[in-house]
Amino acid sequence: MSQEIFWVLLSKKLSGEASPAELKDLENLVLEHAEWQYAIQNLEDLWKQQPPKDDMQAEDAYMLHLHRMKEMNIAFGDMPEPLPAIIGKNRIRKWYWAAAASIAFALGLFAFNKFFNNNSEKTLVAREVNEISTRQGSKTKVELPDGSVVWLNAGSKLTYNKEYGQQLREVTLTGEGYFDVVKMKEKPFIIHTSNINIKVLGTVFNVTAYPEDKQTETSLIHGSIEVTIKNRPNNKIILSPNEKLVVYNEPGENGNTHLKEKEIPEKIPLVAIKQLTYQNNDTIAVEAAWIRDKLSFKNELFADVAKKMERWYDVTFEFENKRKENLLMYGTFTTETVEEALAALEFSFGFRYKIEHKKVTIY
Amino acid sequence: MHENEHIKRLLSAIALNNDQTACKELFLLLHSRLKQFAYSILKSGEEAEELVSDVFIRIWQKRDQLTTIESPLFYFYTTTKNLSLNRLKKQKRQVSLSAEDWLVQMNSIYFDPEQLMMTEEIMRQIKKAVNDLPSRCRLIFKLIKEDGLKYKEVADLLQLSVKTIEAQMAIALRRISKCMHFDIKNSLYTGIKK
Repeated sequence: MSQEIFWVLLSKKLSGEASPAELKDLENLVLEHAEWQYAIQNLEDLWKQQPPKDDMQAEDAYMLHLHRMKEMNIAFGDMPEPLPAIIGKNRIRKWYWAAAASIAFALGLFAFNKFFNNNSEKTLVAREVNEISTRQGSKTKVELPDGSVVWLNAGSKLTYNKEYGQQLREVTLTGEGYFDVVKMKEKPFIIHTSNINIKVLGTVFNVTAYPEDKQTETSLIHGSIEVTIKNRPNNKIILSPNEKLVVYNEPGENGNTHLKEKEIPEKIPLVAIKQLTYQNNDTIAVEAAWIRDKLSFKNELFADVAKKMERWYDVTFEFENKRKENLLMYGTFTTETVEEALAALEFSFGFRYKIEHKKVTIY
Repeated sequence: MHENEHIKRLLSAIALNNDQTACKELFLLLHSRLKQFAYSILKSGEEAEELVSDVFIRIWQKRDQLTTIESPLFYFYTTTKNLSLNRLKKQKRQVSLSAEDWLVQMNSIYFDPEQLMMTEEIMRQIKKAVNDLPSRCRLIFKLIKEDGLKYKEVADLLQLSVKTIEAQMAIALRRISKCMHFDIKNSLYTGIKK
């Protein structure tokens, strides 16, 4: 007899489908295992939860339905007033994916010499330190003196000094970067972020280290890398391809962190190695999709998706309905405008929004 | 399932009094789930919206006969399915229920500290686990947990066997339990008589 029987019985009991004999079988089982009581009670509580009642989208749909019945000459008691102008057929939006090819990468390459000679406003803050940064809503690609290439996502900054390439190749990153590092065994490539240091010999990987996020993520595509967490210098972690390392920011390290001391549950480690996420037929991991100009998320909370969208589209989000922060969403966007993306998400995931200039409000 | 009771009351009010408020309330109650169901079959938001409207027109036209249905939600889902498949037929498209293309948003799994003795983080994982279920499994889970359909009704609706429904529900429940660190080991099984 397999363990599955237990789950079949328990699920039948919860859904009211168990016969008296089955209930007895289950009871006998549970009697032998008092330690299951707590969990089973939790499941029963979970089962009883009802969905919340609001559905504002349906209000619009109802108006359209009445209108349609009128057009079809179906008698329906007192008909409502003619539709207000805002609500028309085009409120029913199509679910669509933009057809086009992805947009070419913004802004091209910057070679070492050009930093000093070109006076581009994006680069060069001081002669000692080279700094490349991107604003919200834009990305850039940087070539380092040794030929390594870094794609910087929106709202990010990469710095390195003039000793780069002499004995070590050191850079500092805030935000998100996708690195393609030239193999040079004798000159390790080291990335410093606020929480972790990453040492690489030659490889392709992605690092997400936005100070306002709860965590730092390092995703390995090819090669191998060694990650050291700053407050645990003896813990070196080596990643294999298609793994990612997530480091949760400690409270107090940067003023913006949302994770409060008491919210860190015991069972969740502060450091976790996970698999990279791939959407159905994609060859590029969700974590690195942004370099191909795709904004991609799979089973993420709206609160986190909103942060990604803020950087991608250069907008700000405000959740007037806090509950919507917990909606789970999945999606991929390439050349859509923010309005198109919001419309597509609204259709599938049940929320309302308003966008004014660059501010998005969620209801 | 107390939602079915509520729906039956609305249907009575509609049939006996042509109650407009009840009509609207019924619509608001059913719209999103029926639309998702239709959308999964028709693959078009616009068509799904029209389809749901058609379902409600039918409810309105047949209101007098609806007061005796035992299981209204099952009836509405079945109507939605049939109208959708008919529409596909008329458009000469392939008439079938997809295995894994279901759009299913579950709304009853959320963090309410007053009702649940669980941490927010565990709830997050549960939500994620539910969303990671294969879509048909999640659909079955939702139809049973949120809509209160019976196993036989779901089997009928999705053209599957009751055994399949039992197995899928077991899978869903087990995955959720794993998030709560609840799983059972092999050593068990003496107590159950066949």
